[in-house]
Amino acid sequence: MMDAKRNIWVFGDYRNYFQNRVTLQLLSRAADLAPKMNASVGAVVLGDNINEYVNEYIAHGARKVYLIEHPFLARYSIETYTTLIESLARKYQPDIFLVGATSFGRELAPRLAKRLGTGLTADCIRLDINADGLLEQTAPSFGGNLLAKIVTPVSRPQMATVRPGSFQEIAHDSTRQGMVICEPMPKKLPGERMRLISYERKPLRVQRIEEARVVVCGGRGMGSKNKFKKLFELAQLLGGEVGATRPVVYSGWADPDALVGQAGKQIKPQVLFSFGISGAIQHTAGFNNAGFVIAVNKNPNATMMKIADVAIVADANQFCSALIKELKKRIRN
Amino acid sequence: MIKLIVCIKQVPMVSELPWDAHTRTLKRELAEGMMNPACSHALEAALQVKEKHGGYITVMTMGPPMAEEVLREAIALGADRGILLTDPRMAGADTFVTSYILARAIEKMCPDFDLVFCGCNTSDSETAQVGPQLSEELNIPGAAYVEKLDLTGRTLRIQRLSDNFLETIEFELPGLITLTTQHYQPRYVTLSGLQQAFEQGEVVPVCAADLGLDPEFKSTKNSPTRILDVFSAVAQNKNLVMTGAPQKVVEQLFKKFDDKIGGAIGKDLKEKT
Amino acid sequence: MKHTVVRKTVRKFAESELSPIAHEIDRDAQFPLEVIEKMQPLNFFGLQVSKKYGGAGLDATSYAITIEEISRVCAGVGLCVTVHNSVGAFPIERFGTARQKERFLPLLASGKSIGAFCLTEANAGSDAGGVETTAVKDGDEYVINGTKIFVTNGGVCGTALIFAVTDPENPRRAASVFIVEKGTPGFSVGEIEDLCGMRSNPVSSLFFEDCRVPAENLLGREGDGLKIGLTALDTGRIGIAAQALGIAQAAFEASVKYSRERQQFRKPLASFQTIQNYLADMATEIDAARLLLYRACALKDSAKPFSAEAAMAKLYCSTAATRITNQAVQIHGGYGYSKEYDVERYFRDAKVTEIYEGTSEVQRMVISRAVLSKLT
Repeated sequence: MMDAKRNIWVFGDYRNYFQNRVTLQLLSRAADLAPKMNASVGAVVLGDNINEYVNEYIAHGARKVYLIEHPFLARYSIETYTTLIESLARKYQPDIFLVGATSFGRELAPRLAKRLGTGLTADCIRLDINADGLLEQTAPSFGGNLLAKIVTPVSRPQMATVRPGSFQEIAHDSTRQGMVICEPMPKKLPGERMRLISYERKPLRVQRIEEARVVVCGGRGMGSKNKFKKLFELAQLLGGEVGATRPVVYSGWADPDALVGQAGKQIKPQVLFSFGISGAIQHTAGFNNAGFVIAVNKNPNATMMKIADVAIVADANQFCSALIKELKKRIRN
Repeated sequence: MIKLIVCIKQVPMVSELPWDAHTRTLKRELAEGMMNPACSHALEAALQVKEKHGGYITVMTMGPPMAEEVLREAIALGADRGILLTDPRMAGADTFVTSYILARAIEKMCPDFDLVFCGCNTSDSETAQVGPQLSEELNIPGAAYVEKLDLTGRTLRIQRLSDNFLETIEFELPGLITLTTQHYQPRYVTLSGLQQAFEQGEVVPVCAADLGLDPEFKSTKNSPTRILDVFSAVAQNKNLVMTGAPQKVVEQLFKKFDDKIGGAIGKDLKEKT
Repeated sequence: MKHTVVRKTVRKFAESELSPIAHEIDRDAQFPLEVIEKMQPLNFFGLQVSKKYGGAGLDATSYAITIEEISRVCAGVGLCVTVHNSVGAFPIERFGTARQKERFLPLLASGKSIGAFCLTEANAGSDAGGVETTAVKDGDEYVINGTKIFVTNGGVCGTALIFAVTDPENPRRAASVFIVEKGTPGFSVGEIEDLCGMRSNPVSSLFFEDCRVPAENLLGREGDGLKIGLTALDTGRIGIAAQALGIAQAAFEASVKYSRERQQFRKPLASFQTIQNYLADMATEIDAARLLLYRACALKDSAKPFSAEAAMAKLYCSTAATRITNQAVQIHGGYGYSKEYDVERYFRDAKVTEIYEGTSEVQRMVISRAVLSKLT
């Protein structure tokens, strides 16, 4: 639909390309929504020497790529990117503009929305076109306990930042066609007020407990310092980290670093094992976004047992031993 | 004397609040309020700047009358004055309007300000948008997700983590920063501070008319976004309870979830015969 | 609004710092020094001491709220704070000379020195007149001899108020109050008592063997002991009532939570009328207790007499605490009897509120006297 009047734009956030797939995910979703509103999908890309990303975006669903290339744009800059994209948006009047909710995206999008006088919904996990032809944006609030359905009825473009992982990217297809629209770098740009003094790339996978995919948390129910030590063995088998509750840290069974909760670390593991933990709010506040929670406690009424996905009624210590034994068997094979 | 502004929000203490379809707002009056955690960190950062360089801190909040609590708390901690932006016409604002109102209030009540501190996001709406939008409204440089800051004369140097890039950025005041909860652990409120905050603290209530907002102005009407509905996230399935001898339960656990656990640790946990 | 904010402020501290260790310090009978140190700069030890001496200068209601909120999480520490404030620092502020106030109040208000009130002896419990500790004038000193038992904060106190008989020969055996500091030769601390509840509080005996204190450590005048004691205990009663209220509140909240979560006969306990009735009675009793307490506080703040009202509050709040914690354990069933849950600690902690700072029987004496002395 090359001459379609309306445009759905996606910001090309190519930094950390291999881990950061959100632009591709958004292009895919935009491609799904486009036919419902007679629109075409465009990517907005700023940078220097970024042809490979332009081609990637076309191969992943962009029908148009609006491109500004210039050495000055080699590094992301909030101020300049905001100004340039604002002028592109005013020129081409996209109907919808989606930005991946990376740190950069979450700083860029609100500034753009403010400049363009339009509405912005943060961190969406669902996007649909509703019966009124509006972009229906579903975003979580209150730590994900509530979901809100939001629309921008009048102002344009309808803007949203989107949580990475909300959509599936479509497969790379180098036969897809797309038009590259090269926009010139303006001769005069407002000077940047923020000076970048230094810039250091940190490795993406730092195995701190906050980043760990598996966490094994232990509480008082483990019984003693020696029994608690077993959790370290379990964590090692699982390639994860050990977390602890405050009473455990206070009793010296674990280091203060291991404290998970309000006064400690926030964790977001894919799998969380919870051994002998009652589930006081000071602790559970540390893992609002845990994936799969397995709790072990001899008390079936403990709060932790109610909020877990799997609640195992057993002595935490005994179960830990049995689990370690079985894991060793299976991993060895 | 450096003039600092800290924008604070009072957020509900509970993680779930009912939605009032009629007023299209959350029924906040049902929950006790507390200072938004990131805002406490922003305030702590401002207090440390004041302690180091001297200065005058104005704390500002937009909310129902009950929001005065967080202003008093801030004064107890060391802020000099509180501004309570409260008006039924302000209720139900999205970030576009909130940043607009805050900007007008700052221009009117704190002209010649030097540095605005905001929490990077709130525990209730979590948009992280007000800070950047406020800096746009005020047309001042603004950096989000600040972890550390250093002020020398009128130059502010900040360190922040954006995606996985650790950036050190400098700009001249006036400016705005939003703080994460990584550093500037908030100090506890002292009881004598509280007593004084209530006895002598200055809290100025400000309504829409005081700011010179259009008589037709209403947040719910002027907000470009509209909330259609608020609902509970996917209903929590009743959890699976397992009992029995540990060995048996372990076997059952793997039978059902070897994929899930295996996927997370990157290993094949299927039983090998 | 101030009272709401005071409540939230104290609750936040209590839940962050005391809640995670409350179980352990009760189990091990350990005084949590690190948390006490965190409390010092926040004015917990100078709640009603005037600002001039480094205190927060709070009104009585704010004071009661503070004690209630601490006790709701950890009654043993609540006990330390209330005794220190109401019968440790307060008598000095009320009856002390300017010099004494300067000497002792700033240290007490900062919490660097913990206060204790020493009246009870082996033969003098409810019968305060049975005090046998003597303080004999010798030149410009007093020599104190005797043993005080069940002294709250005894194990850590830095400033103790000692009730001693100054003139043993005199049939009236008038008592006086002396301020004795830790480290004074002849003043030693006994073993920490092994108690049923409030175990994180270091309750102990204090021994005085030819302990010499300067005459300027006499609080008020010779013979003022009764007056100081009664006045101190009036304020003390507000503190203990608040403490009991906090314990009752904690037990009540735990009962509501448990009733909602625990299922039997395929229904939550809260759907059974028996449990609903229990919860209704608890809620009503706590509300009544709270109002009695705040009424006594309001009278105190208006500088009106409040002895009888404070006695009523103490009597009612402590009775409510015992009854409610007992019922809370019952609602929790077998789990209520296990240390896995906090209710058994609330149950053990509650009992003593009916005993110290004037037993319930003594409170009734105070109240009946007030009733009978009213001219009809």
